[in-house]
Amino acid sequence: MASLTVTMTDVEGRTHALEDVEDGISLMELGRRNGVAGIMGDCGGGCACATCHVYIGEEWWEKVGGPDDVEFAMLDMVADVMRDNSRLGCQVRMSPELDGLAVTVAPASSA
Amino acid sequence: MATQITQDGISARQALTGAQERLLKEGSLADTAIQARPREYYAAMRRADPIHFDARLGSWLVTRHEDISAIQSDPVTFSVQHGYSEQQARGMRNEFETYLREHGGGYFPDAIMSDPPYHTRIRKLMEQAFTAHRVKALEPRITEIVRGVIAEAIARGDGTCDAVKDIAIPLTIRIIVEQLGLDPGMEEKISRWSVAVTAQIGAMQNRETMLANAAQIAELQKYLIAKMKAREAEPAEDMISDLVHAQVTNADGSTEKLTFAEAVSLVRATLIAGNDTTATAIGNLFYVLTTRPGMAELLESVVDDERQLNRFIEEHLRNEPPVRALSRMTTREVVVNGTTIPSHAHLLLVYGSGNDDETVFPEPRRFDITRPNLGRHVAFGGGPHRCIGLALARMEVKVAAREIVRQMKNLRLAIGEEEIRYTPSVATRTIESLPITFEKR
Repeated sequence: MASLTVTMTDVEGRTHALEDVEDGISLMELGRRNGVAGIMGDCGGGCACATCHVYIGEEWWEKVGGPDDVEFAMLDMVADVMRDNSRLGCQVRMSPELDGLAVTVAPASSA
Repeated sequence: MATQITQDGISARQALTGAQERLLKEGSLADTAIQARPREYYAAMRRADPIHFDARLGSWLVTRHEDISAIQSDPVTFSVQHGYSEQQARGMRNEFETYLREHGGGYFPDAIMSDPPYHTRIRKLMEQAFTAHRVKALEPRITEIVRGVIAEAIARGDGTCDAVKDIAIPLTIRIIVEQLGLDPGMEEKISRWSVAVTAQIGAMQNRETMLANAAQIAELQKYLIAKMKAREAEPAEDMISDLVHAQVTNADGSTEKLTFAEAVSLVRATLIAGNDTTATAIGNLFYVLTTRPGMAELLESVVDDERQLNRFIEEHLRNEPPVRALSRMTTREVVVNGTTIPSHAHLLLVYGSGNDDETVFPEPRRFDITRPNLGRHVAFGGGPHRCIGLALARMEVKVAAREIVRQMKNLRLAIGEEEIRYTPSVATRTIESLPITFEKR
């Protein structure tokens, strides 16, 4: 099994350098497992709640790719914090191609 | 991720008018008039006493969005298992349990209405059933079913129907029945059973109605148990087969089979949760389309624009949430936003109020599909107990909205708005019957 690395910056600005990340895990599961603040994953990875919203590091965007229609519909529900590089963590799965990926956890939609 | 509640500030209380003060003092969510038209009462609590002890109910009503969010993110301090269990057939729980053991094949506590870590395992098992992508794949079939139900109402030919009983209820029942693998054509029975199950957390039963409802639930359980036994012997491509053969994965990676009792509770929960509240949302849609100026025109203008239609549905769920309030119970004394709540206190998270919190949704009574934070509404709850069927519910309401516009026009309420009756319940705000007139498009 490939062992990968991911850097996640949580909502409080703390950086988590995650090593030995397994191939195939979603960024939501990875964030939850490592207690990354701001990654809730309420719906359990069903692309249905937008509580695992992350911004993909600029240099990684092309490799990660954009959201599909279903995911875009959820991101649109948090439009105030959605950016061009927004993805739901549950919909991004790690692969050797993404080894070294850097993402920042998006803040919750504002009041 | 579950976090322990922390107390780092108290949000301001606001002054009330004399009338609001009286309402706060004399009102109760147990009052059916307040249940039907609750917004003034919610607003008074939100302003001056956001975590308000309702003495008649014996429950703390949590009414501000920020407090609802904080509480549902801490499933350890605020137990769903104890909260739900306390609320079920409240005050008559032993008799309810005994009745089901004697007449309903057993008493099956809701496995999903539990606390971590047990809940985490059960939840994981259910989460894959209705992901947004799986639901998207069901859209053509859902459309077919919805189209058929509305066409049947139109085919009666006189331009009248009961939007709740003839459309909303059969529509959601047919969809979940097909997913579970139950028998078609049982809409009336399943509707009755659903009302009986939901009444157990509505806090409005007397002994007589509790026993009548328990008899319905006994009948439901016996029907489900027979179906499950059949699928146990001979699996089919449906959710019942999945659940009777399901395995849960433990933290250490080992697996174990769900017990039959757990599976019964999950099939029952899926059937009830899968029809009742979504039917309420669709009934509410007919209600706003027939009573609020401009709503029918707005829906018509967005119906072919997927993004705007999604926003319309989400704002509808915020504006008219089907679930009014669900239970928690404190496992220790805790201070929330300046209010001390004792240990073992029963709480109701009042979603209907949270969705109207003006600090989160400015001008909350305005129907505004351009809100930048639509996803913040709490119609589906939040935290680890967030509604598991949310994607399916959204899809059903969306397809219903689309098909209403495609097949019907000039929708009008056939009774006075003040004649609309709501189900007596603290748990949901449900229109029981909604006679309308319409023209075929």
